[in-house]
Amino acid sequence: MSLLERAQNIDRRWVYLLVWIFVLFPLLNPLGLPIPIGRDSTAWKDYIDAIPNDSTILVSMDYGVSGMPELYPMTVASMKHLWSITDAKNLKIVVIAFWNQGPLVFDTLLSQVDPEADYGMVYGEDWIELGWIPGSETGMAALANDIWAQKPNDYLYSRPLDEYPIMENIRVAEDIDLVVSFETGTPGLPEWLRQWNDPYGVPFIVGCIGVSVPGMAPYLSSGQLSALMPGLTASAEYEVLLNRPGLAVAGVDAVSMSHLLVFILVVVGNIAFFATGGSRRS
Amino acid sequence: MADLLPIWTSVFFTLAIYSFLYKENPWYRFAESVYAGVSVGYGVAFDLRYLRDQWGGQWSSSGTMMLLFGIAVLIGLLWYARFSKQYFFLYRWPLAIIVGTGIGMALRTVIFTQFLQQIRAQANMPLFVAGDMMQTINNILIAIMVPCVLLYFWFTGGTRESAGMQIVEKIARYTMMAGFGSAFGYTVLTRMSLLIGRSQYLLGITPNPPEARMAFYTIAAIMLITLIGYDLYKGRS
Repeated sequence: MSLLERAQNIDRRWVYLLVWIFVLFPLLNPLGLPIPIGRDSTAWKDYIDAIPNDSTILVSMDYGVSGMPELYPMTVASMKHLWSITDAKNLKIVVIAFWNQGPLVFDTLLSQVDPEADYGMVYGEDWIELGWIPGSETGMAALANDIWAQKPNDYLYSRPLDEYPIMENIRVAEDIDLVVSFETGTPGLPEWLRQWNDPYGVPFIVGCIGVSVPGMAPYLSSGQLSALMPGLTASAEYEVLLNRPGLAVAGVDAVSMSHLLVFILVVVGNIAFFATGGSRRS
Repeated sequence: MADLLPIWTSVFFTLAIYSFLYKENPWYRFAESVYAGVSVGYGVAFDLRYLRDQWGGQWSSSGTMMLLFGIAVLIGLLWYARFSKQYFFLYRWPLAIIVGTGIGMALRTVIFTQFLQQIRAQANMPLFVAGDMMQTINNILIAIMVPCVLLYFWFTGGTRESAGMQIVEKIARYTMMAGFGSAFGYTVLTRMSLLIGRSQYLLGITPNPPEARMAFYTIAAIMLITLIGYDLYKGRS
């Protein structure tokens, strides 16, 4: 069997080993490849910077632990960004989740970022976490009608909402000025648009995993989505824009190297296929 | 020591799941079963917490509300009728309610958000954007490609074989192939990001705990030795 023929029947475990090498090497020895700033991350930052004073923002953690590698860095960066402007703009931030592992992810965030110590945020006055809401799209519709009925207690301390001043004037979808959703699938943006954007006109910005981006793009073009943060590379750009390098910046070299490997494998596979008369055989 | 336990556990389960890349093995089986059990337990705990909060909120406020809450819980319990051949038919009631409300909720606005708004956006899109050549090219391409792809899926009428339609079909095929290529690229990004995220944890890259790296090296070595050793032993016997 020639080398070209063997290249088409390579044991998949060698490919896995190569992927590990291409990922681990740049993580252990950062290459410092340049990170060009794209339009999406700039639009995301500008949108958050331009949030009007006295706005109420609903942050929805619509992903589980499996989505953390790609979405967690942008969630951390966005929450830090939001908390850093909360005092100056008198914002109110309400954190919810339509995926039941969403609160678990946010617990991880709170173990690494202390809103009170780092940003002077007072829980229950500047921000609050309401936790998971079941029912997917039906739950979204119910939340829009009556937030207090859907979540009578907060998530962190299980106390009734009337004990928290922040919730005094937050009762229905009309009280929310912006939804920031980080999501990996269903329920996600289409459900949000159907239950919150179209009936109540609430604007949306969404951070999503790369695989969802082609499905999100039409909503961005139509203006139903105000800004989109597509995947880990955009997160890295955003961290650079905020001058707060984090996990995304640390991982972007590995992203480049792993894509380079996939590119090489596709090219080698195609050369081997055509050079051995594969197209004639098929 | 107590601080290290969660880190070593996390590293062990990550590597046990990844060991499937080598081949099916007991480490993977164990991790898979534990993960399934833990995630179900987590889901049930959150469900019960939600029920408790709901009861403490509005539903315990009056006799009527309590009765309605009881009916809702009873309907929910009917899901379990699917495990009985005798009462299987009862399971169809909660299913019908879920499907009915779900479809009703979605259909209420789907025609506006995912159909009319998209058509309106397409119709309002300017072909020429002053001072932005790339956006102009993008808009022209969208104006050509979207109608072509829509026509590609028009399967009736006799004009499908005409010369004009052949050109339209070719443009549509190229458009879809570009779309599939873009989707594949983003899929690779997502899959690689998963591996990168876990690798960052295994290597203890900040803000992950640095102790994870030692756990990674130790557990990876043990797993590799046991997996390869087991294979060699089986081959010899």
